[in-house]
Amino acid sequence: MNESYSGPLERLDGNRWRIPKSYKPGMRVDGIIYANDVLIEAIKGDKSPEQVANVATLPGIVRYSLAMPDIHWGYGFCIGGVAATDPEQGGVISPGGVGYDINCGVRLIRTNIKFTDAKNKIEQLVNQLFRDVPCGVGQGGIVKFNKSELCKLMAEGSRYVVKRGFGWESDIEATEAHGLIEGADPSLVSDRALQRGSDQCGTLGSGNHFMEVQVVEKIDDPQAAAVMGLVEGNLTVMIHSGSRGLGYQVCEDALHELQDTPRKYGIDLPDKQLSCAPVHSNEGQRYLKTMRAAANFAWCSRQIMTHLAREAFARVFETPAERLQMNLVYDVAHNIAKMEPYDVDGVSTSLCVHRKGATRAFPPGHPELPERYRPIGQPVLVPGDMGRASYVLVGQPGSMEHTFGSSCHGAGRRMSRGAAIRASKGRSIKKELLDRGVIARARGRTGLEEEQPDAYKDVTHVVGVLHDAHISRKVAKLRPIGVIKG
Amino acid sequence: MLPHFELFDHTADMGVQVIAPTMAGLMAPATQGLYSIIGELVATSKQEAFQFELSGNDPAILLRDYLNQVLFVFERDHRMLISFEQTEFSREHLIVNATAAALDPEKCVYSHEVKAITYHELSIREIEGGFEARFIVDI
Repeated sequence: MNESYSGPLERLDGNRWRIPKSYKPGMRVDGIIYANDVLIEAIKGDKSPEQVANVATLPGIVRYSLAMPDIHWGYGFCIGGVAATDPEQGGVISPGGVGYDINCGVRLIRTNIKFTDAKNKIEQLVNQLFRDVPCGVGQGGIVKFNKSELCKLMAEGSRYVVKRGFGWESDIEATEAHGLIEGADPSLVSDRALQRGSDQCGTLGSGNHFMEVQVVEKIDDPQAAAVMGLVEGNLTVMIHSGSRGLGYQVCEDALHELQDTPRKYGIDLPDKQLSCAPVHSNEGQRYLKTMRAAANFAWCSRQIMTHLAREAFARVFETPAERLQMNLVYDVAHNIAKMEPYDVDGVSTSLCVHRKGATRAFPPGHPELPERYRPIGQPVLVPGDMGRASYVLVGQPGSMEHTFGSSCHGAGRRMSRGAAIRASKGRSIKKELLDRGVIARARGRTGLEEEQPDAYKDVTHVVGVLHDAHISRKVAKLRPIGVIKG
Repeated sequence: MLPHFELFDHTADMGVQVIAPTMAGLMAPATQGLYSIIGELVATSKQEAFQFELSGNDPAILLRDYLNQVLFVFERDHRMLISFEQTEFSREHLIVNATAAALDPEKCVYSHEVKAITYHELSIREIEGGFEARFIVDI
């Protein structure tokens, strides 16, 4: 069973808690956890705050080790963790700060379909998506890429698959980094990773990954919603997936390679899973180049699934996806490390920002945003659980000041998988979801039980904390009506 | 003491505790524990040899690397280990000679996709009457 955290947590204000750097030897900065009074009680229930403190020991860490309100226990880093390191001050890159599922992320597609007009077709639509979008253990994709194609795909990102007919040109602009992190080197990706990924691009996977049909239930920010094309009562599609076996293997290869690296560079770590190397070292650069390749793979994978979703909608509604105006609102990574400039003591400094279960949340005016989003800020997509809600937010100036341009990535688990299964005994989660108006289809034997709404914190609390802290502002609330899972 | 495994909870993932009278005896239940997380796997009669040999200085990492190989064979080749002919496991060396069989896709019932066997709380330790291994898989 989980052990709870008994170390110090000092309240800074209504939304933040501090773990002072005096808590344990080796901490270079304080830990800061974003949470309200309700969430902090759940957070203390596992060892994730201890992991926030452990991350604070990483060489070159700047300002603080951060955790978003959806924090829960992970490996090395907590899920919901953010840490920025300065390469010029010996700063490190840690694969544990990205996770196995490199560029796990979320994308949102809007439509002009009114729920009231489509009510009778939702079951047919969910069944069609379940048939057409490969999901679950052992399910290969509709395209099997050979080694040379995979290398091109990882070098070119989303544009490679769009050129092959899987999506629209406009999708590229609506994807973080245009679906391509520069500096990837696919030639360094192992054969084993290529073999694991060869037939998995464009597949959903299992675990907490999903494709969801939703209704825009409430608009909080009409101006931002209008820019994104979100209309109250209309359908949206949300996709949550990552880099599949290829990314898992890239992480695995890096952790293996970095086993002895901390000793080589004289780095003391409180947890083996925090293995790391200086950003400027050969080992660090090698990981960054392969991680970027895996990230580009993940964007291609979500791009292919976008194409499959559009085709399914077109079939069910007997209307081309273009006429259904199924435009990509945005696509964001939430497991990634990127070099980004921040003001450190008045000097613009390129930092290596680790986001492990955290979403980039750039404010209005940021030069990396697509032109149409510069007046409102970057869309931040926050899936909740399959029974309650998900949210669309926009980044706020506070994110640059306090969280290295980051926000939360989801609701965050509050129950282990085992506990969720035990809590489901004698119940039909599928029927309970149906009673709430959600049609669910899952391939895994226990997927719905493990991912039931009660297994997660209430996402409304999570996004509320970051709204109140001026990190990311609420734009729209999305209610699930259909979900497919692996 | 009969070799056996039990699953334990971890917030988003799952852990396996393995008990056996010898270190070599940990291998079969550790493998079964991993398979039990993936689902109810059913093999066909199409068999071939599986060999794994690795040296190192930490037995827990040897076990982890072996399990990652088992996972790779499952994912890439759609094969599972069905019997162990010879296992040798010391603090520095691991040898596994086993028989693998192709999976029957019609009969397998899957529960989880395992991403990797992690280093998180990974351990092998001597206990009264044998050994205990613990590992956590990322789902």
